[in-house]
Amino acid sequence: MPMFHRIFLSFLAALFAVPLSPSDIQGAEVSFVNDVVPVLTKAGCNQGACHAKAGGGQNGFQLSILGFEAADDYASIVKQGRGRRVSVAAPEQSLILKKAAGVLPHGGGARLGVDSPGYTILKDWITQGAREQCTGELEFVGLEVRPDKAVIETGGHQQLTVLAKYADGSERDVTPFALFESNSAAMAEVTEEGLVTILDLPGKVSVMVRYQGKAAVFAAAVPMGAPVEQIPSPNNFIDELVFANLKQLGIPPSPVCDDSTFLRRATLDIAGRLPTREETVAFLEDGSEDKRDQAIDRLLRSPGYADYFANKWTSLLKNRRDEQSDITSNFAFHAWIRDSLLANVSYDQLVRELLAATGTVVGNPPVAWYKRVKDPKDQLEDVAQLFLGVRLQCAQCHHHPFEKWSQDDYYSLAAFFSQIGRKPTATPNEDLIFHKRGIATAKNVKTGIDLKPRALGDDVGDIPPDEDPRLRLANWMSSPENPFFAKALVNRYWKHFFKQGLIEPEDDIRDTNPPSNPELLAALEKHFVESGYDLKELVRVITQSNAYQLSASPNDYNIADQQNFSRFYPRRMQAEVLLDSINDLTEATTTFANLPAGTRAIALPDNSYNKASEFLKVFGRPEGASVCECERAQSSSLAQSLHLINSNEVKGKLAFGNGRAQRLAKSDAAVEERIRELYLVAFSREPRSEELEAATAYLNEPVLNAEGQPMDPNKATQQNWQDLVWALMNSKEFLFNH
Amino acid sequence: MTMLSASTVFAQSVCLPLPRLLTMTPMGGQAGTNVDVTISGDNIEDVELLRFSHPGLTAIPKLDANGLPIPNQFVVTIADDCPVGIHEARVLTRLGISSSRVFNVGSLPESSANTKNTSLESAVTLALNSICNASVTRQAVDHFSFQAEQGQRILVDCAAQGIDSKLKPVVILANEQGQDLVVERRGGVLDFTTPEAGTYVIKVHDLTFNGGPEYFYRLAVTTAAPDAPIVRMASTRDVNMCSWPPVGLTDDQTQPESEPNNEHSAAQKITLPCDLSGSFFPAADVDLFEFEAKKGEVWWVEVASERLGRPTDPSVVVQHVATVDGQEKRTDVVELTDIASPVKVSSTHYAYDGPPYNAGSTDVLGKLEIKADGLHRLQLHDAFGGTRNDPRNVYRLIVRKAEPDFALVAWRLHMELRNGDRNALSKPLSLRGGSTVALEVVAIRRDGFDGPISLHLENLPEGVTATGLTIPPGQSRGIMLVTSREDAPRGLTSANFIGRAEIDGQSVERPCHLASMAWPVPDHWREIPSPRLVADVPVCANGNELAPLTIAAEDKVWEAVEGEKLTIPLNHTPRCEFSGTQMTLKTFGQGFEGNPSFSVEISGKDSKAELDLAKLKVKPGDYTIAFYGSAVAKYRYNPDAVSVAEASVNQAKEKVTRLTEETKTLAESAKTATEPDKADVEARAKAAEAELKAAQAALAEAEKSLKEATAKAQPKDLVDIVATPPIQVRVAPKPAE
Repeated sequence: MPMFHRIFLSFLAALFAVPLSPSDIQGAEVSFVNDVVPVLTKAGCNQGACHAKAGGGQNGFQLSILGFEAADDYASIVKQGRGRRVSVAAPEQSLILKKAAGVLPHGGGARLGVDSPGYTILKDWITQGAREQCTGELEFVGLEVRPDKAVIETGGHQQLTVLAKYADGSERDVTPFALFESNSAAMAEVTEEGLVTILDLPGKVSVMVRYQGKAAVFAAAVPMGAPVEQIPSPNNFIDELVFANLKQLGIPPSPVCDDSTFLRRATLDIAGRLPTREETVAFLEDGSEDKRDQAIDRLLRSPGYADYFANKWTSLLKNRRDEQSDITSNFAFHAWIRDSLLANVSYDQLVRELLAATGTVVGNPPVAWYKRVKDPKDQLEDVAQLFLGVRLQCAQCHHHPFEKWSQDDYYSLAAFFSQIGRKPTATPNEDLIFHKRGIATAKNVKTGIDLKPRALGDDVGDIPPDEDPRLRLANWMSSPENPFFAKALVNRYWKHFFKQGLIEPEDDIRDTNPPSNPELLAALEKHFVESGYDLKELVRVITQSNAYQLSASPNDYNIADQQNFSRFYPRRMQAEVLLDSINDLTEATTTFANLPAGTRAIALPDNSYNKASEFLKVFGRPEGASVCECERAQSSSLAQSLHLINSNEVKGKLAFGNGRAQRLAKSDAAVEERIRELYLVAFSREPRSEELEAATAYLNEPVLNAEGQPMDPNKATQQNWQDLVWALMNSKEFLFNH
Repeated sequence: MTMLSASTVFAQSVCLPLPRLLTMTPMGGQAGTNVDVTISGDNIEDVELLRFSHPGLTAIPKLDANGLPIPNQFVVTIADDCPVGIHEARVLTRLGISSSRVFNVGSLPESSANTKNTSLESAVTLALNSICNASVTRQAVDHFSFQAEQGQRILVDCAAQGIDSKLKPVVILANEQGQDLVVERRGGVLDFTTPEAGTYVIKVHDLTFNGGPEYFYRLAVTTAAPDAPIVRMASTRDVNMCSWPPVGLTDDQTQPESEPNNEHSAAQKITLPCDLSGSFFPAADVDLFEFEAKKGEVWWVEVASERLGRPTDPSVVVQHVATVDGQEKRTDVVELTDIASPVKVSSTHYAYDGPPYNAGSTDVLGKLEIKADGLHRLQLHDAFGGTRNDPRNVYRLIVRKAEPDFALVAWRLHMELRNGDRNALSKPLSLRGGSTVALEVVAIRRDGFDGPISLHLENLPEGVTATGLTIPPGQSRGIMLVTSREDAPRGLTSANFIGRAEIDGQSVERPCHLASMAWPVPDHWREIPSPRLVADVPVCANGNELAPLTIAAEDKVWEAVEGEKLTIPLNHTPRCEFSGTQMTLKTFGQGFEGNPSFSVEISGKDSKAELDLAKLKVKPGDYTIAFYGSAVAKYRYNPDAVSVAEASVNQAKEKVTRLTEETKTLAESAKTATEPDKADVEARAKAAEAELKAAQAALAEAEKSLKEATAKAQPKDLVDIVATPPIQVRVAPKPAE
């Protein structure tokens, strides 16, 4: 019997208390790379916080992260530490065993009991001479998890089996040595032994399985099993695929939302603002069948669309104001994005202009990105994460733990950025960018080998010295066959409209992090590519779908659904939109330095305004420090509530001299008509009769001053109207897009 | 600059005041018309004259209803035959001629936007085919509207930085509702064909929403035939354009490039010499040209594109092409990129470390030496052109046998006076009596010319002399010293600035262009310098004010022997108090620039310069040198104005006293007057009272003027550059032992 199988039997014995005969192990040859390293990995010895810690490892014992560099680990264990880590003459006296077993004090505690199979493997390996290579060493080439997918009821279990594949065609069951991780702790748990337990939420969940630098994934569909009888008629392929998934999972969707909700939702999501009262009234009165599609097209043509999405992109592209002299560069860069979106420049062209930007900032504003992101390593990491949805940061120093990316992949991508020439300009800290003639290479710092450009494993051909390699990278990205580029964008935009990406996080796309609806993601990707990377068309097709237009109100079954889009998931308005909406509701304004009066917060060019605006800070406007959308804080906080309830800024807007409360208080129009105006602006709907009644009653209540005396009637009326606006503003219906 | 201690640095202003003309509204006019202009600037409170660089432009003061000149207003007459384009305008004041401001002459009718037009409702109506002069409002957007027919091609051009404005214009064409249709933010022309007849709106604002009188612009809205080329409004020339075109180059011999020529297999065949015109279009365009050449041939390659005003970075590679084993083998012969600046250009450091004028260029000028017989390919591409699709990015490629030559450009010398300050760079050539002004001159040498270049400034006012310190062989920097005698009378000339050299046995004369900054730069971290070439070289002796300090050596030839020390006594003539007692001097002049800086007493009578000829390794010969440094004067601005104002006050007081008496007398007479004189006396008393009130108001005004003049005349610490007049030195050979 091969050694490995014998060892595995011993593990099974440990797991399932099956007695294991010592004869199964005796006499077998232990492999350092295939047997010892997996034991160390499973025991957690080579985690980043332990002995794989950068700068020498915990307590001077350095292992490579997750055992990716077996040769280094061997040297560290056998040759370093004055040779005391292993003692071939007296294996049990080896420091590595005594520490691991907790016989000697160990900061990481006892990791391997003296009776554990892992301990036995280590001890046998030492006993056999602690050799780096054993006879007939197998080359590990692939990993498989069985089953790789399953439909499991809530509360169900699935034991996973992990098979390692070797170059000679052999396989090994390595389940006890593999690492398991669920992509949703709310949906599934998995034990160290690979036993998956499905919790209460229906949907799709996956478990990532890692072993020796390779990863595989188990995908589970968890049906709710409810009857799905009423499904809105599909408007386009999105509906077909969303509703098919809901049917498969047995999650009945909520009905399509009403016109008011749709208009408010689409206007907030496309143009970053509330509909005006006039827009709402006209839309509600419009009897045409395609009025929703028309409204979407109107919004896409409006400058609000360009402003809102430019706001999203400028932050991700790090348009930061660090110096006063950055203002020209930042305004130019923001305007370039905004104008490009307004003109609907195709996404591949937009990225191409950014990626291969040359010249001066004012002459060619995307050059500003190279002002912000100067280090070629940052350039490749940002480009990979933002435009490809691939996080490569880990691969700079070691093989990516969840992915196939190696340091060679990392530096081959860096090579695309190696021929960027810089010349100083008259503006401090601002270079002009040009293509520096030469063969593009980047050195793998680990191997010292100069690598030519390769795009995440794809050969892009030889790049002559006269060609800017960044253009070749842009060509590769915008190729219809590119597996990352379109996928990353449609997933990012899907999340913009649905709160939840088809892949989460939206910029961590990898085989081990599968989409919740792979067919839908593929169809969106195809549609986007076939449209010529048309961003407006992508927004159009998403917002025209009935899936987007579902009501946010849950039915009896779908309240727990968080990833299958069986209803609209409400979300708080983001900082800038909320500030603009409060201004629209109160008819107040916020003034911003260097910008014309009336500039909306969604049109702010950079992060510098966060310093002056407590509101934007409290509600989480990002600083443009990272390419991650997660930098924008969308969570709620006490500070936010207090700010809305009681801050001077909000009170000032309510009491604004020419504001809505003042105007309505002085208006001769019927009270009902004035209340109606408020509801149409705040909620894009007419007030319900009970709301009208309550508001009217409140407005007629006498108001007492601080001394308990009745307030001057004019002042009292003003106060009441301010209170009413305040109440509406502090409602969830106002604060949320729903 | 070493004489300023840290504690005094921030207390000082920089540079003695000179007049600067900063705005002129409107900024131009149509040929054959009269235009009323209003000017503003620094130190121009007593303008005598508004003058232009072209005789087709003349100006007289604008008069009020009483026939008196209105301050800072002129009527400019533009002759019918005045060339369309850019001209320089300057004013002559008490302190001499001012810095320049562009005045534009156009062929279209002009208007001015004088009303607030920062909303759609207040849009200023424009006629098609006209030019509007305006300036943007800070944190606002200017609005204009025009009517157009359906399908009309409309060109909207906004001249701003090219006419000295601080505006970085954003020009937006919008529909009648003000919704943006097309936007131009990079200084290009909006080229728009109207989809329907109706009203269209143009919005203009600064890229960073700055504004004010210094953010002026000229907005041209014209119609054009569908295929008509775009003709831009005139613009000032960048400093690097001093070296283009080469003397004698004409357009009649140039050949067009022939696309497709991007691939080696499709290279355009040419023979040398050649003169080609092409464009870097479309994006990432590469143009390949193929020619035969023989080993040992030497050619010079010059490309102009940036110097044609395009935002490009031409790059040339020439390769030898051979066939080896049936495969094409290409070997680099030469790679040519930028034309280097002749002197180190300023970095963005706060301290001054070089002139912020770059006479170099991203264009190409270099030597091609053929290493082997056979086929060669010249590859030309734009290193800025990877993603830019602009057919206006044209180039001119010339490959020629050596035609040695040079081009010159000069600017006022600057040195570190105060961190961040770059004010001296924009000062006009107006000289105080007893002062010497230094200009830094650099040469772009062409096609291997490495001979000396002598510098000459001719046609100077009486009492003003100029001495050029020759640009030595193979070097690129020289100095021009312009000295005004202490008693030089007031005078103004348009000088002729030239360089002379001997090339291939022929004496050659080339113009030396003058460069200046469009705006003073008191803090270059807040104000990005805006250098440009100016069209003429006016030199002025102001005749009114003397330099605070003159340092000079006796006017003779100072003789010394090779390897010995030469001591030159320096005479100091201080004319005011100074902050500090010492100043540090450095040395100008070929062979002497390595002389260590030395300290002298500012007000000292017996300072001296010691030159160690052995250490400097100065060879026998005749030299011209000078010393320069900086000193902080306690400068009084126009003290004469105080006595003039005092006289006015006294005069006004006397008048008030006299009128008070008269009024009193008449008032008493009115009380006692009887009919029929009573009415007349009362009327006279009333008139006298009114006259008294007017006189009292005039006195208040005179007292205010006195107060202002007195405040201005208070001594202020002003640091400025002090240079000596040129000093002749003759070094004799060491006697044989």
